[in-house]
Amino acid sequence: MSLLQIQDVVTAYGKIEALKGASLEVAQGSITCLLGPNGAGKTTLMMTVAGILKPRKGSILFAGEDIAGRAPHDIVTRGVALVPENRLVFPGMTVLENLQAGAYQRNDGKAVAGDLEKMFTRFPRLKERAAQQAGTLSGGEQQMLAVARALMSRPKLLLMDEPSLGLAPLVVEEIFRIIAELHKDGVSIFFVEQNAHMALKVAQHFYLIEQGRISFSGTPGALAEDEVIRRAYLGSAQQ
Amino acid sequence: MIADLIQNTLDGLGIGAAYALLALGFTLIFGVLRRANLSYGAAIMFGCYAATWAHVNFGAGLLLLALITVAGAVLAGAYVERLCFAPHRQGSAIAAMVASFAVWMQFEELATLVMPTHLYAFPALYEGAPLALGPYTLRIDALAMLGAAFAACVLLWWTLYRTRFGLAVRAVVEQPDAAALAGINVPWVFVRVFALASAIGGVAGYLVVASHGQITPMLGMWSTLKGLLAMMLGGLGSLPGAVVGGLALGLLEAHSQWFLGPQLRDLIAYLLLFVLLAARVPWMNTRSAS
Amino acid sequence: MDEYTIGVLTNIGLFSFVALSAYLLLIAGELSFGQQAFFGVGAYAGGMLTALYGWPLPLAAAAAMALGALAQFLVGLPTLRLRGLYFAMATLAAAEMARILFELFHWRRVINGELAGPDGTQGFRGIRWVFEHGIEPIEYLAMVYGLLAVVLAGFLFVERSRLGATLRSVGQDPELAASVGIDIQRVKLGVAAAAGALAALGGVLYAHHNTYIEPRNFDIMLGVHSLAYALIGGLGTAFGPLLGVVLDIGALEGSRVFHGYRMVAFGGLVAVLLVFRPRGLLDERMVRWLRTRFT
Repeated sequence: MSLLQIQDVVTAYGKIEALKGASLEVAQGSITCLLGPNGAGKTTLMMTVAGILKPRKGSILFAGEDIAGRAPHDIVTRGVALVPENRLVFPGMTVLENLQAGAYQRNDGKAVAGDLEKMFTRFPRLKERAAQQAGTLSGGEQQMLAVARALMSRPKLLLMDEPSLGLAPLVVEEIFRIIAELHKDGVSIFFVEQNAHMALKVAQHFYLIEQGRISFSGTPGALAEDEVIRRAYLGSAQQ
Repeated sequence: MIADLIQNTLDGLGIGAAYALLALGFTLIFGVLRRANLSYGAAIMFGCYAATWAHVNFGAGLLLLALITVAGAVLAGAYVERLCFAPHRQGSAIAAMVASFAVWMQFEELATLVMPTHLYAFPALYEGAPLALGPYTLRIDALAMLGAAFAACVLLWWTLYRTRFGLAVRAVVEQPDAAALAGINVPWVFVRVFALASAIGGVAGYLVVASHGQITPMLGMWSTLKGLLAMMLGGLGSLPGAVVGGLALGLLEAHSQWFLGPQLRDLIAYLLLFVLLAARVPWMNTRSAS
Repeated sequence: MDEYTIGVLTNIGLFSFVALSAYLLLIAGELSFGQQAFFGVGAYAGGMLTALYGWPLPLAAAAAMALGALAQFLVGLPTLRLRGLYFAMATLAAAEMARILFELFHWRRVINGELAGPDGTQGFRGIRWVFEHGIEPIEYLAMVYGLLAVVLAGFLFVERSRLGATLRSVGQDPELAASVGIDIQRVKLGVAAAAGALAALGGVLYAHHNTYIEPRNFDIMLGVHSLAYALIGGLGTAFGPLLGVVLDIGALEGSRVFHGYRMVAFGGLVAVLLVFRPRGLLDERMVRWLRTRFT
């Protein structure tokens, strides 16, 4: 079952088209990865799905409903949450307040409190730093915080834009471990990456975006077998 | 000499409290929307004239007049927000500012059309003698102003740090995109911030007009200039700075006026602002203003 | 043409100068709430030179322009490094200081047996050079528009030249401009001096048209109006600010339809228009389109 269906989406900045008709699908309950070089349109695609950017053309179906062009908070209501590139935590607010912001739309106070506890259990370092200002956290901790914040809205689909960017290898492993855990808990995950090695370990389906268009769609095996892709994104060394 | 200094300081704090309230309103809008609202003073004037109209035509009492002033300011503010700021949310700050100036012009002419006499009497807040503190006097309306400024500060602090709305406002200020991604309805936050700022301005306007016992159309220009001046002096975008800037401006004016007269009093305030801006003192460049 | 129409047209011409001075700064990326100060400097300086010292108007106008240029240059020196609202507030502060100084300025001389000259808040009356030399209102109108035409020709020439491109690039993308070696400060100071001269020219002509000026004429209203004219008329061409002035003073004031409601109407028009055209009626896109249509 297709949870997210992007069809022929065109997003432009003024005259420059960053997405030139991108189409892809994210199946319910899957982990899907979008690979691509810098400037290919990965972040643009994520921001378009999340509603920060409005597409000029095309449709974005989430659970059957077209969310293209809707306001970001409406999209969160429907069950999509984006962990943005560079985390974008609220630096002057505490870790706890960041999480509370993530639960902004929810009115079920007790359940929110329960979820906060769950987050602190899953991310022990956040619990330690609950009263600290988010801006003082390390890169890895901020990434955890950004993920936890997005999870506070209980999304059906979690979008992640380059979750491993700028993080130490050990931290990156932890992030991907969490991605796998979340998937087991039933959250569908669609993430963007440049680091294909780690992505290969968790993702069930791959898309490749180049110059605003999807140029490849397939399984991890198919990705690894493709000579051109392997050389570009995996290095010529065998993994 | 010392006695004069102390009396001037008391007077300065009284008027400074009014400036602080005005600056708080400007700063709320500037801090959250990143835009200067040039019709803020005019919206306040609109509220005060609405109250004046009610007083002239229906003899409304003090409390009702206060409510009408605040309601009028909030209504005028809502009009400004929809026409001048909502359409330019992701666009040009200059367009928003010039549009807000255009609406200032509208309010001013509207006031003179509906209430044609240049000056109207306004019921005084307190007609009794000023409070005596030893050899010094403190007017009751100055005390009311200080009380209102203090109450506004407490209210704002509580709103920002103890309510969900406040959390949303702080999130929008720190990271507008991330706030939207967290599910915060950012345009609606702007509308409510505008209303809050207008209400604070309405309170300030009411107290000023009731202290003077009269109202003229100059109120719009006066509130705008004083509010902007106090906001800039205290450091653009900082709420505590707005209060400090307002009080400092009041003190500066009271002392300058005593030694140099009313014209030089204004000159000194503008000179101070100019010098501080030209010297690019650190505390004033707290936010990007372009 | 009746006297009323001549008066309206003359006013359009006079305020075009100060609108153009705000426009020039806007193109270079600076928002000024203070052009009224240099308009006032021109008015007072020009008026004093003709009324108190017998200078001929053309010479007084040139001197006034030089003074206006110098004044805005000096104000710009410490402030042009400021961004956005900070610069705007600095210009506002400077302009209000100028207005207060006009209120405090007394320079009385006995001319033809009578005391004349600026008298603080009482204003400056008797700037009668135009009448003493028998210049009819329609001739003055021609003079004003003659000068305006020269200024516009200058603008149009600059806009098609490299200087114009430099100015616009400084305004739109200062970092890019700096990276290709443009000295931003120098450009902005040059623009400031030119803007000051323009505003002052308008002021001289205004003073001699009205024969009476007072500090209140040069308050923040005039400054923000000039800015509004430039923005609503359009930032794509020097005809933009003119269009803004024509819309306000010409269509609204002159037509008498909106008599008494002029500001409510003009204010509403500005706000609504900006929703659809944030860079004015004759913005860059419109000007490009017009150029392709007519060349």
